[in-house]
Amino acid sequence: MSKVAAAPSSPLRTFWLKWRFHLNLLLVLVPLGFMPRYFADAALFRGDTGIGERVAGDVQVGPWSLTLAEFRNEGPSPDPAGPMKFFNAALCAACADQVKATYLRIGKPRSLRAAGVIFFGTPYRMGAGLPVPARTPPDAELWITMEGWDGTMHQGSIPLSQASPATIAWLNKQGVKP
Amino acid sequence: MTSILRAFTALLCVGFSATALAHNPMCECKEIPGEQIQCKGGFSDGSGAPGVTLDVIGYDETVLMPGKLGADSTLTFKKPSAEFYVLFDAGPGHVVEIDQADIQPQ
Repeated sequence: MSKVAAAPSSPLRTFWLKWRFHLNLLLVLVPLGFMPRYFADAALFRGDTGIGERVAGDVQVGPWSLTLAEFRNEGPSPDPAGPMKFFNAALCAACADQVKATYLRIGKPRSLRAAGVIFFGTPYRMGAGLPVPARTPPDAELWITMEGWDGTMHQGSIPLSQASPATIAWLNKQGVKP
Repeated sequence: MTSILRAFTALLCVGFSATALAHNPMCECKEIPGEQIQCKGGFSDGSGAPGVTLDVIGYDETVLMPGKLGADSTLTFKKPSAEFYVLFDAGPGHVVEIDQADIQPQ
């Protein structure tokens, strides 16, 4: 005769013992919730959805031009070096092999040395992380400086409110700091 | 437990590697006693910037004081009498400008 006594079990435990494998199968479904975001990000990083989440427009820079876009349609993201806003850009088809470097800065640069952050990447899709000081006035302008292989330098600007309304909203939320 | 923690840390490192790869230049200047200004440079990944150029430039674009950061990533210089800004120059597109108005007083 077996001495194993039937252990008194609660209904909850019975439920768990009976359904635990089925419940674990449900865990497989969890990643499905993250899929839309994952595929949207993958398309953005690959460039399938364009050069950025929001295209701000074309900026004329001397004889050249570029299409400027916000990488993400949102305010600057925190960084140890201060809030950073990421912009993407594509050079015009004719100027892709004429432009050596493209720089981005809030406000007119004092000199070519201080032209701001440089765009990295191919002429068709390049990116730059622009530090946005909290004291930036909402009517600030984004200045683009382009340096050609022939040594020439040209500048152009676009209002920050046009380039990134999300950054203006972010600045207004921060409040103007002295 | 330790191995789980290690695995978790490794996962975090992988997850945030894109952020860690970006290292933006950083520079802070403050006034110190004796009409002097001390600037400290570095990068946002936590690394220092010994030997990186730090120039003090006048509003008229003349270089008032060319300099390089010391082994401790700092440079101390006498406050110029003319209007100036500090340019931490780690290469084209890797610069930080600090206007004299943004230098913390003592």
